[in-house]
Amino acid sequence: MTINDLWSVMPLVILAGGALLILLAGAVRPGGFGTGLGVVATLGAVAWTVAMPLFFTSPTLGIAFGPFARFFSTVFLLAAAVTLLLSHHYNRGRGIRGEEYPATVLFAAFGMVVVSASTNLLILFLGVEAMTFAFYILAAIDLNRSESAEAGLKYLLLGAISAACIAFGIALLYGASGTLNTREAARLTLAVTGSDPLALAGWGMLLVGIAFKISLVPAHLWTPDVYQGAPTPVVAFLSTASKGTAIVFVLLLLWEGGGGKALHGPLWGLSLLSMVTGNLAALLQSNVRRMLAYSSIAQMGYVMLAFLGGPGEGFTAVILYVVAYTAMNLAAFGAVATLSGGGAGEEIDDLRGMGYSRPFPAAVLALAVFALAGIPPTVGFIGKFFIFYAAFRGGEVPLAIIGILTAAASAFYYLRVVVNLYMHPTRLPEERSTSITETLALAASAVAILFIGIYPAPLLQAIGRLIP
Amino acid sequence: MNQMPALLSIITFLPLLGAILLLFVNKNSHAVARGIALGVSLIVFLVSIPLITGFQNNAEFQFVELVPWITAGPFQMNYHVGIDGISLWLVILTTFIMPIAILSTWTAVEEKVKEYMICLLLLEVGMIGAFIALDLFLFYIFWEVMLIPMYFIIGIWGGKNKLYAAMKFFIYTMVGSLLMLVALIALYFKAGGGDFNLLKFYQLSLDPGTQTWMFLAFALAFAIKVPMFPLHTWLPDAHTEAPTAGSVILAAVLLKMGTYGFVRFAMPLFPLATAQFTPLIATLSVIGIIYAALVAMVQEDVKKLVAYSSVAHLGFVMLGVFAINQQGIAGGMLQMLNHGVSTGALFLIVGFIYERRHTRLITDFGGLSKQMPVFATIFMIVTLSSIGLPGTNGFVGEFLVLIGSFESSIRWYSVIATSGVILSAVYMLWMFQRVMFGELSNPKNQVLKDLNAREVAIMLPLLVLIFFMGVYPRPFIDKMTPSIENLVQHVKTKQAAANQPVAQSVPAQAVQAAPVPLPQAATPAEVK
Repeated sequence: MTINDLWSVMPLVILAGGALLILLAGAVRPGGFGTGLGVVATLGAVAWTVAMPLFFTSPTLGIAFGPFARFFSTVFLLAAAVTLLLSHHYNRGRGIRGEEYPATVLFAAFGMVVVSASTNLLILFLGVEAMTFAFYILAAIDLNRSESAEAGLKYLLLGAISAACIAFGIALLYGASGTLNTREAARLTLAVTGSDPLALAGWGMLLVGIAFKISLVPAHLWTPDVYQGAPTPVVAFLSTASKGTAIVFVLLLLWEGGGGKALHGPLWGLSLLSMVTGNLAALLQSNVRRMLAYSSIAQMGYVMLAFLGGPGEGFTAVILYVVAYTAMNLAAFGAVATLSGGGAGEEIDDLRGMGYSRPFPAAVLALAVFALAGIPPTVGFIGKFFIFYAAFRGGEVPLAIIGILTAAASAFYYLRVVVNLYMHPTRLPEERSTSITETLALAASAVAILFIGIYPAPLLQAIGRLIP
Repeated sequence: MNQMPALLSIITFLPLLGAILLLFVNKNSHAVARGIALGVSLIVFLVSIPLITGFQNNAEFQFVELVPWITAGPFQMNYHVGIDGISLWLVILTTFIMPIAILSTWTAVEEKVKEYMICLLLLEVGMIGAFIALDLFLFYIFWEVMLIPMYFIIGIWGGKNKLYAAMKFFIYTMVGSLLMLVALIALYFKAGGGDFNLLKFYQLSLDPGTQTWMFLAFALAFAIKVPMFPLHTWLPDAHTEAPTAGSVILAAVLLKMGTYGFVRFAMPLFPLATAQFTPLIATLSVIGIIYAALVAMVQEDVKKLVAYSSVAHLGFVMLGVFAINQQGIAGGMLQMLNHGVSTGALFLIVGFIYERRHTRLITDFGGLSKQMPVFATIFMIVTLSSIGLPGTNGFVGEFLVLIGSFESSIRWYSVIATSGVILSAVYMLWMFQRVMFGELSNPKNQVLKDLNAREVAIMLPLLVLIFFMGVYPRPFIDKMTPSIENLVQHVKTKQAAANQPVAQSVPAQAVQAAPVPLPQAATPAEVK
């Protein structure tokens, strides 16, 4: 390992070092500055990633911090910082103490950055598993609620199956192509899926594993349960950055294989099922987080639709939507986390009158659901616009029309949240102030939703630089 | 002529500034919130007056602003705004009606005043923006921006059935606009990429099949907004449940979005499909006129009656616009303004009596004229204007619409539509008679107070306009004439060009329509 290698993995060193420091500091002064240290570590890693002076690549480690890795690392690390801010107050209120929490969040972020920067299938796998492992712990970390343990167990069991599928798929791809370089292996095997059963089986296993991670229908059944059981800030992180990482996985695999065209059939099916099932099931939910879980399944269906648009517009739409979705879901789950407490915040009906008793988080939640419904001038609209554009461009007219129709239907359940927040006679106003950390986190995601929605040019230019 | 720089942007975004300013107002200081909202809307109106004075009577887009907005990725979207004779008056109507609507809420809304004012101001941003946008993408954004504040206005401050009405309003509009979005993307492809400049899209020559589909998608979105029969069912619900200011804005401005959309987008972009669908649209308009008038007749609720009369009036507008000749479109445009003024005034009047009696049932009233003479006079004038009595604004518009459509391919439709004029007199006068005349039998009505100074002040500008536009509509028509001529010529040329090569496929109505431009050149002068 050379000094060059060390520089190239500096963001990872900062994250891992930060996590260890939190654990050590906890031993000296328990319950001290876990959140603070965590936020500093993530923002430090962001600063390094953004300002990294040179393009470092380290073939021996299978890691390259190119523009792609920098972009996604920034997104995921910012999501981690927002999650830490959201959790601080939430965890205190629910007796989730200790340094494990912020340290584990950092470890998860570590895994995400590894995935974004990986050039090698094995490193990619290790990154995915490092992240997932951290989420097994995070999902079950609320010891006072049995649902949390249930969520952790469910996620663990299905995660293990998914990991096995991915590992097996990678092994088969290696067998078929003879290389572990991600892009090479994907390119070589995608070309021969028709003739080489090894390559076909490998891609099949990979898709199954990834479908679990992104929670696409029919591999989605864990999602509502885990989202309902796990602590809400964890869900905010899980639903955004973890899914984003899985999408990065797909992007890396398809980067040189001509986009989603090569996997047209399976992606088409996954997209259709996810959009339709996700939106229809969300209509029936009465629990906020289950509703948002099904909504996130549907949202991922739209991302799969974007993949079908091919490498140019399709990838632009995918990357834009990953950013958009991260901002929207962080805001939505963050606001739900902030509004919940004392048994409230479980059912959609519990939100009644919150628009007046807790104006700020309620406004952020309303903004987030409007964005998820795809209404301008929010990032959700810009994201959907690009997805449908890419789909039309790629010739996926019927699927795009179905997508638009399901998007129209989705407005119904998203609006139910708004109706409950604002349009029912207010119960006794239970005025509770919102903590500074929560305000900061919600404000950051709300600003992202509106700013990108109104002026997406800088982000689109940044994405344009990534597209081959 | 040096035009003030960025005047349109100032007009559009001043209300937004006002809304942001309102965020910092204490939620219990209602007077401050009302004052700021009224002040901002008045300033916007004053600032919009230079639009009239600085407007050159030609067909060009004026006060144009063009700033690159989204230049990355495959797209080029611009912040491109400007007005011509068609949008000028609609912008003015919006800025004119807003202070009136805000003033009307003074005592009607006592709860969540600050939020209400924020919604009203945001709504104004969306409405003005949609009228001035010359970039299709920008137009779509503003079009959708109107949706959220109106949804909140109905859903939070509405009546008993507000949730149902708000949801219906939202879903109807959303479905329409999503289909429009699809057509918009498809249109962009056909144009071969580049930017979303509307004027560029005007020059496209699309094949008839494509035009049909795109026209249907756009027309559905606009027809829902108008609303045209049979897509009108959201309107009576939304109107009835919305608070007074919401109804006024909905009737005066939001419905015009639909008809404006036809004039600005659907017709010039898809001239062949326009010719193809003219009989259908005319049929639906006539059904709308007659059906809505019949339904209005049997309404028990004054507000619902006015809402249905809106559907009938908008049917006239559509009939005029789809005559596709100078008088028809001028009449349609004028009728849009008239409807904004007189139906806006009717909703205000309904609001006045509702505030006093908390009922809108016709049977609860009777003989009010004895108790409220000022109110009775104003109500009478507005009613007559709504019927279209000569001397009031309603007459000029309806007359031009009927002349225009009579001289076009949809002659027989206009003949049937004329009966709608009579029907409107029946239901309006009958309603007026039952509410205002007769015995003052109900004891609750015997203690009613007449209009106060604020209420008279709200109505006064509307009454002045009713007579001014009725007696001297020329300034209005003069400003819009060049743009309308341009539009008619554009549509006719495109239709003719497409019909020339394949002579046998010329639709019957196109043949009829061809000689129309000749007589029409003479008539506008007479009307003026």
